Amino acid sequence: MNGFSFDNDVRLQLYRQFVASGEPPTSENLAAGMGRPLAEVRAALERLAAGKAIVLQPESREILMANPLSAVPTPFRVRSQGRWFFGSCVWDAMGIVAMLGDEAVLDASCGCCGEAMGLTFRAGEPLPAEGVVHFAIAARRWWENIVFT
Amino acid sequence: MLLFRGEEHVARWCVQWSQARGALLTIDQAWRLARAWYQNKMDPAWRRPTLEETERLMASLGLTGPFWNLR
Repeated sequence: MNGFSFDNDVRLQLYRQFVASGEPPTSENLAAGMGRPLAEVRAALERLAAGKAIVLQPESREILMANPLSAVPTPFRVRSQGRWFFGSCVWDAMGIVAMLGDEAVLDASCGCCGEAMGLTFRAGEPLPAEGVVHFAIAARRWWENIVFT
Repeated sequence: MLLFRGEEHVARWCVQWSQARGALLTIDQAWRLARAWYQNKMDPAWRRPTLEETERLMASLGLTGPFWNLR
């Protein structure tokens, strides 16, 4: 089997299961969903992570980020397609809205004072809202520590 | 990348966490960047963009200058 093709199949299965259930699939879930050996799926996940297509948790090697989706709860929550999803940052949370192509609500809060801030998307555009997005890390350094951007 | 109520909140956060101020985008600019970056992520043909493709994408959104330089 072509390596890229299999890795891409694993990537697509990961996203589809994640979006369909609203929960990050484990590598066992993915292997079961694809009818493939767990070791093959884990190896594919490692290659996808090495290629920066996804991010794995440091110890368990389960999914941490299938960007823009976060497998762990964050302060950036999106309601789309009747389910809740988390983004690792506000940019990723907006990315969830873009990826799922649906009307959505993004719940967040001010990074400074914690005041609740929400964005509503209709017909593929955000409704006018107060706020700014701050990128603290210069673009070329994003992958030095992708958890802190 | 964090969301703030306004520039003064960003300034306060930078002092509080000893961070230099980075780049500020409007909600609309951030949305356009997110859409360009992620809207096709579930397409079977998706692949990670090359450096040159990413540079062109950022430039098309007006994200130029040292902060957005990828090299």
